Amino acid sequence: MKILIAEDDQISSRILQKNIENWGYKAVLARSGQAAWEALQDEELRLSILDWMMPGMDGVEVCRKIRHRKKYKYTYIILLSARDRKQDIIAGLSSGADDYMTKPVNFLELRARLQTGKRIIDLEDKLLVIQTQLKDIASRDGLTKIWNRSEISKFLSEELERGLREKKPTGVVLLDLDHFKKINDFYGHAIGDQALLQVVSRLKRKIRKSDKIGRYGGDEIIIILPNCGLDEIKKVGERLRLAVGKIGIRTDLDTVPVTVSAGCATSELPGTASADKLIKVADGALLKAKGRGRNCVVVAGQDREPAREQINV
Amino acid sequence: MSESANLNKLRPIDFCDVLDRIGGDTAFLKELLNIYFQEYTEKKRLLEEAITQEDFTKVCELGHSLKGASANLSLSRLRRVAFALETAGRERHLQLAQEAARSFDTEVQTLKAFLEGNPPGKFV
Repeated sequence: MKILIAEDDQISSRILQKNIENWGYKAVLARSGQAAWEALQDEELRLSILDWMMPGMDGVEVCRKIRHRKKYKYTYIILLSARDRKQDIIAGLSSGADDYMTKPVNFLELRARLQTGKRIIDLEDKLLVIQTQLKDIASRDGLTKIWNRSEISKFLSEELERGLREKKPTGVVLLDLDHFKKINDFYGHAIGDQALLQVVSRLKRKIRKSDKIGRYGGDEIIIILPNCGLDEIKKVGERLRLAVGKIGIRTDLDTVPVTVSAGCATSELPGTASADKLIKVADGALLKAKGRGRNCVVVAGQDREPAREQINV
Repeated sequence: MSESANLNKLRPIDFCDVLDRIGGDTAFLKELLNIYFQEYTEKKRLLEEAITQEDFTKVCELGHSLKGASANLSLSRLRRVAFALETAGRERHLQLAQEAARSFDTEVQTLKAFLEGNPPGKFV
C-alpha cells in the first residue's frame, strides 16, 4: 500500500520514509502542499501523512481540498503538527483530517494509527464492492440476469444521445415469445422459465458486444443496437428470429418449439427522438408482426411481407 | 535521572533520545546529520537575506523549520535557539532575530566540533 508523506522538512520526511518502508508500505514523498495535492490525484494513494506547516498550501488546506472531492475513494489523513494546543487539534480535525499527531512523532504510535487507517480503507473497499454488487442486482432481471426494464431504458436514452452526437442511428428490436402463455399453461411455469432462459441465451449469442439486451416485460425482450440503421436492422431481426425458432428448446420435460415475433425500429424514423418514443414505434411493429401470424419480423415504416417459418407449438 | 541521562542532556545532541526514535541505527543518524548540515548551509543564506531585508515572515518560517529539524535530531539547544528565532520573526524584532541567528550558527559549529570527537555510536 502506498502512503503519501507530505513534509517540507527533509529530516522529518526521511525518518518517516524509512520507518514506513520498514513497515512494508511504499512511500510517496511531497515537499509542499501543492506537490501533495498533485500526488493525491493518484487514486491509489489512499493513506496520507500531512504536515500542517508547509510552504504555500499547508496541510490543513490540502485536507479541505481532499474532502471537497466528489468522485474519489476515501483518503485517510493523519495530520502532523508541532502545535499541541486543544484548539489546534480541533482545528486540524475540523479541516477533514482523520487523525492528529504531534511532533516529534512516536513511531510505534504512528504505526498503530496507520493500521487503523488501513482498516478503514479496507472497509470502504469492501463496502464499495458490495455497493457495486447490489447496484448490479438492482439493474438486472432476477430470472434471466439480463438488464431490467429501467436499466435498458437508461441505456437506450444514453445510446440515442450518443448516436445524435456521432450522427449514427440506433436500432431497437423488441421480441415477444409466441404463445408463451400456452407454454406456461401446458408445461407449467418452471418449464416456461427454462424456455425463456434458453431464448435469452440464444439471443445473446447472436448479438455484438456493444449491443445491449434486456427484459422489457413478461416475455418481451428488447435489444439495443448502436450504429444500426434501417438497412441492417431487418437482417438482425431475422437472424435473431431464426436463432430462437430454428431448433426446439430442450427442457426438463420435453423439447418445446418456441418462436418469436420481432418489431424493429431505428432512430432514423420520424417520431423516435426519445427512448420511450422509439420503443413505442418498435412496439407498433411488433404488434404488426403478431397480426401477421407471429414468427416473423416487421420493421417499422416498411410494410413488405415478412419472411416466415411456421412452427407450431 | 541517571548519570548517563544527565550526561546526554549536557551534550549538544541527545544520542539516546534520537537513536531511540530511529531504531538505534547509527548509520542512519549520520545520514540525517549530513542532511541537517547541508540544509542549514542553504537556510543560513536565506536567513541572512531575510534579516537584511527585514522579511520577518521568512525569518519566522525559517526559525520554525530549523526548530522542527533540530527537535527531530534531539538537538535541544539548537531547538531552543531556533524557537527564539521563530519568535523574533513573529514579533518582528530585528535585534533579537540577529542575535538568535548568530547564536544558532555558533551552536551549529559547537555541534560539528562535538561530533568530530564523538561520532554517533560512540556514546549511547
